[in-house]
Amino acid sequence: MPPKRKATVSARGVGSAKRLASGTATPRSRSIGSSDEYTEDGEYGNGSEADGPPPAEERRRVSNIQKAVKAMSVENLKSRGKGPTKSKHEATASIGFSNLSYLDLKPDHEKRPLWVDAKTDKIILENFSPFASRAKDFLTTIAEPLSRPAYLHEYRLTSNSLYAAISVGLEAEDIVDTLDKFSKTPLPEETRNFIMNSSKAYGKLKKVLKNSKYYLETPENSILQELVQDAVISAHLVSSSKDIITEKAVKKGPAVIPGTREAAGLIQQVDRQNNAQSDGGPSGHANDAGAGKDDEMFLATLREEDDDEDEDQKHIHSVEILRDSASLERVIERCWEMGYPVLEEYDHENDEKNATLDINTTSKTRLRDYQETSLRKMFGNSRARSGMIVLPCGAGKTLVGVAAACTIKKGTLVLCTSSMSVVQWRQEFLKWSNIDPDDIAIFTAESKQKFSRSTGIIVSTYSMVTQTRSRSYDAQKMMDFMTEREWGLMILDEVHVVPASIFRKVTGQLYTHCKLGLTATLLREDDKISDLNLLVGPKLYEANWMELSQQGHIATVQCAEVWCPMTTEFYQEYLREKSRKRGLLYVMNPRKFQACQFLIDYHEKRGDKTIVFSDNVYALQSYAKKLKKFFIYGGTGQVERMRVLENFQHSEVVNTIFLSKIGDTSLDLPEATCLIQISSHYGSRRQEAQRLGRILRAKRRNDEGFNAFFYSLVSKDTQEMYYSAKRQAFLVDQGYAFKVISHLNGIENLPGLAYSTAAERRELLQDVMLQNEESWGVEQIQDDLFSGRSAHPKGKVTALAKKGPKRTAGMLSDLSGAQDMAYIEYNKSRNKELKVQTKHNPLFRKIERDREKRKAARLEQLKEVRSMR
Amino acid sequence: MPKASKGVLVECDPAIKAIILKIDQEKNEYIVEDLDDTHLMVKDSKVQALKAKLDEELKNAVSYPDEDDDSDRG
Repeated sequence: MPPKRKATVSARGVGSAKRLASGTATPRSRSIGSSDEYTEDGEYGNGSEADGPPPAEERRRVSNIQKAVKAMSVENLKSRGKGPTKSKHEATASIGFSNLSYLDLKPDHEKRPLWVDAKTDKIILENFSPFASRAKDFLTTIAEPLSRPAYLHEYRLTSNSLYAAISVGLEAEDIVDTLDKFSKTPLPEETRNFIMNSSKAYGKLKKVLKNSKYYLETPENSILQELVQDAVISAHLVSSSKDIITEKAVKKGPAVIPGTREAAGLIQQVDRQNNAQSDGGPSGHANDAGAGKDDEMFLATLREEDDDEDEDQKHIHSVEILRDSASLERVIERCWEMGYPVLEEYDHENDEKNATLDINTTSKTRLRDYQETSLRKMFGNSRARSGMIVLPCGAGKTLVGVAAACTIKKGTLVLCTSSMSVVQWRQEFLKWSNIDPDDIAIFTAESKQKFSRSTGIIVSTYSMVTQTRSRSYDAQKMMDFMTEREWGLMILDEVHVVPASIFRKVTGQLYTHCKLGLTATLLREDDKISDLNLLVGPKLYEANWMELSQQGHIATVQCAEVWCPMTTEFYQEYLREKSRKRGLLYVMNPRKFQACQFLIDYHEKRGDKTIVFSDNVYALQSYAKKLKKFFIYGGTGQVERMRVLENFQHSEVVNTIFLSKIGDTSLDLPEATCLIQISSHYGSRRQEAQRLGRILRAKRRNDEGFNAFFYSLVSKDTQEMYYSAKRQAFLVDQGYAFKVISHLNGIENLPGLAYSTAAERRELLQDVMLQNEESWGVEQIQDDLFSGRSAHPKGKVTALAKKGPKRTAGMLSDLSGAQDMAYIEYNKSRNKELKVQTKHNPLFRKIERDREKRKAARLEQLKEVRSMR
Repeated sequence: MPKASKGVLVECDPAIKAIILKIDQEKNEYIVEDLDDTHLMVKDSKVQALKAKLDEELKNAVSYPDEDDDSDRG
């Protein structure tokens, strides 16, 4: 698999294994006839797939098919001969085998959980070791988690991760010491040097917004001297303050984050910290490094030890930068070029210029452990750091955002992806904090509010803020209002979806002291993630999905990949098609349809609420109509959408809904417990993770033995297998295991199984083949940030212009309407059944009642007359 | 007059059958009779040749899509 995916090598191993399976189909299918010499499949297929057959062999085979059989057997022998060595070599290469035997093991190595590989900067953690949990906390701080399955975790030291570690206040010596403590072998010299060198450059320079002036700050005078002398930088400095300002560093304890246990008893915490400090010595063993279980305690210990040592020498030197976004960006960029990355910090407690917002979390609000940890990383030394926090879907990202706002207590901007989540964010703020509802305003196309007092919170969308087309008067006024003031905190929701250009615009227009990015899946298939490091800040915290699900914060999910064989007819067409139409063929595969039907039926009987995802709208509609289920896609009207969703949530009428791409993110359906995916966006790992996120917040997750189910239906022997393996990579790294189901038990006996006869299948195929280009691909959603940004507004205009008048042949009677024809709708959408019962006006109801009464009276009379006779 | 021809019964996946049918389409020189979804009768003399062809086809059939398709832009 080519290097697009930088992630793990072990996952790549998984991928290639899968690919093999998809490539050479099942063993059964290859053993044609009964010849014996044809048993080499595995090795031969493997070798040639990796590097292609040598041309000589190729020619021989083409020129003489008769001889081919013999040649094959010779090759066969050859490949058998070198097969094992070759495959072993490949295996070691792809699994990332590395020989650490040149390092001596420490005498008590069994107790220590880490292997450090100097060549690749990888760290392997034995998760079963008793000290694993402490080592894990440390590693998540200093390294990037690559893969975290059950027993062995893999991390990688990168300069960015070290930068992040240093940005939470760690020092290089501490990192080296602690790493050495946990490692089974003495720390390799290369690794030690790498950490030292990276830390020398990183984290020394800070950009601080103080009294609404931007400063560059550093504890080392020499760095600043160098910067000031640089032509580019000095051009952007405030000329009067060319001299370096030197002042004593102000030291403070960690900021108090409302809603944590700590807020209740700060004093206790200080006590604990002192204990931890007296216990742990830098030369001590791993097991007595810190008494506190919390890794933050551990880090605090390290930090304080350090502070004690050089308290006297700490001074801070700073220069002022011109306050416009162009020179700011230029200075920062230049500093990066010179090897001094700039950190952004906000001294919110000492900010007197901006009005303080009266906001606090309510007394009921309790932060979960991991939320607390993530916030501690943000507010390390009583200043707020810009950065990103990565939590799985449904793990309470919003609450983290709210708590951060409550800590900073200044004007706050929240940017999200859709107007639906704007409303959700506002509600969450009202729910978790004591903020005055007047102080929190919404800025969307529909509503443009302002807060009445000096400061407050504004919730908006990325597109509203960055719109370049002309705005309405109201919107323009609102924008002016926003750009003209200084904001304490900007929360960027779903930060991974937003292209860098938008961020530049956002950060250029709005003055914020601190930026907090929130996301579940910090990955994109294009390499845009690294840009975020520059624009928002380093990754401050990434949660471990498996741990959260064990603690019951998110649901436990069983993942399965269901392999559906292609029928002969469909596969024939599939082989013939070269274009994207193939996609439609493997989605509409009747066997997949049957599998889907079977799974829906099975889970409905169990009482599960099921969501079926399909990117392809044509498939979505035909599945849903055939199975008589409800569906929602981009073209579904708002009223209909709400009606279907409400019924899904609250009534027994709707147990299964089909959703298109629009349901991938931000749709909150805690009732759903089962998820089936029939078509998807190629190899997008993010989509897979986001979709899984739909069931992670399942309401019933705390029931005993509860499992949510995630099925991915894949047509065998098609490209889908390849994509599917790619898509799963992220979740596999998070520790999810995908079970492969090649046959669903009892599927043949399902009553009313669709497409069970060849005739029906042929009919379906015909229908599929008749579909035009539009229905081949995936749905394009305009108001969505993933695809909508490049939605070519220009293209639309030309299309409109071309439209013009249209000429058609026809009869005059056509204009009258239906020409005596009567229509009946077959195969109709079930959405329509969900009609609300219309209530008549009281007047009409009264008339109705009167009529009934009169009718009854007449009948009565009639009876009387009859009885008289 | 009835005519007998010697053949080999091939059992395979529906997908593989589709590939064999595709190979056969060119000259109709392999298949004697298409029996059902998973069974075919193939000319006795052509079995080896068919195997070779199939192997080649399989390699071609499993082409990996361009990396461009993976990007996040819809």
